[in-house]
Amino acid sequence: MEEYAREPCPWRIVDDCGGAFTMGVIGGGVFQAIKGFRNAPVGIRHRFRGSVNAVRIRAPQIGGSFAVWGGLFSTIDCGLVRLRGKEDPWNSITSGALTGAVLAARSGPLAMVGSAMMGGILLALIEGVGILLTRYTAQQFRNAPPFLEDPNQLTPKEGAPAPGYPNYQQYH
Amino acid sequence: MLCAFLRVVQHMEKLPGCLGGQLLPHFVHTKACLKTQPLRWGLFEQKKTVHPRTELGFTRKTFCTQGPDPQKAKEDSSKQVSVHRNQRGETGLSMSQKVKEAGRDFSYLIVVFFGVSITGALLYTVFKELFSSSSPNIIYGKALGKCRAHPEVISVFGKPLKGYGEMSRRGRRQHVSFVEYVKNGLKRIRVKFYIEGSEPGRQGTVHAEVEENPQSGQFEFRYVYVNVTPMRSIIIEDNRSQES
Repeated sequence: MEEYAREPCPWRIVDDCGGAFTMGVIGGGVFQAIKGFRNAPVGIRHRFRGSVNAVRIRAPQIGGSFAVWGGLFSTIDCGLVRLRGKEDPWNSITSGALTGAVLAARSGPLAMVGSAMMGGILLALIEGVGILLTRYTAQQFRNAPPFLEDPNQLTPKEGAPAPGYPNYQQYH
Repeated sequence: MLCAFLRVVQHMEKLPGCLGGQLLPHFVHTKACLKTQPLRWGLFEQKKTVHPRTELGFTRKTFCTQGPDPQKAKEDSSKQVSVHRNQRGETGLSMSQKVKEAGRDFSYLIVVFFGVSITGALLYTVFKELFSSSSPNIIYGKALGKCRAHPEVISVFGKPLKGYGEMSRRGRRQHVSFVEYVKNGLKRIRVKFYIEGSEPGRQGTVHAEVEENPQSGQFEFRYVYVNVTPMRSIIIEDNRSQES
């Protein structure tokens, strides 16, 4: 069942923040390297210097904004889990919308609504991809649907225990 | 410097939107009049030294004329510009160019269609997962509601009951494990998730099963029970006696 003895939630925020920062730095670094290379004057040395400069200046900024997005998303997600008491895809979608709204707060209410919708739809798409991936990779391992008996815990209503539930492997 | 100013004027005249184009030259050209009049001789001298570049099909010579003429010169120049543009435009749209344009538009259309269909498929998956009664998440939600309302479960686990599914690698526990199978021609879904309450260290496994009701198309619960320890189970709901 669970290998960790502790709850994922508060530590997940740091995890997500760091992961987002890394993604932003690496992705932003690649993009800025290409952009700096192209926008520099002719000559390999100039181009490399331009590339390195662009990466040095912009990549940490991009990483920082990704980290803010990821950290805020994870914080709101954990907050919702704590509030509702169950872990759901709804938590992710609402967190995405609220993150978008909070990060656009300086631009006024209309921009907040637009940003919230974008964040919500983006997270819904990501959740959709996750769900599809999980279902399809699990279906690969599933053999023909078995004839499943009713569990032993139910038939004698006193709740006589079953030694083990052999059909657990069928779950996915 | 003055010729640069006049060149700016000429560019501004070509601005899109006839309103801007018409409002502007009127008092720009009066300024131009004022400026060209006293400097007439200076301009003509300048004209000789600056070699006439063909700018958009006419030379600067025609533009830098004196007082009353700038209006006509401007009209001439604008006419010349428009004619020239037309000529260039006509030679652009040959048959091969049209075919290329159509091909490019078609390929863009294909890309857009592809993107829209993928997005639509993803959104449909998410909606089905969140709203249809046959999705494991909905079954999990309803079963958790039943657990929370059951007094024995509350007494064993404690009041704020929380539920979660399988642990995934990122630490999120949203995935609820389930099995779908068919019996007697009707579809059944079996769901398993975990609950925890405020009592420390107590964790239970909830098993729930739904069966499709052929008349209404909705899925109804067959049984829900909680496995507290391997030795003990709490049966929350058992509707199997209603079956034939």
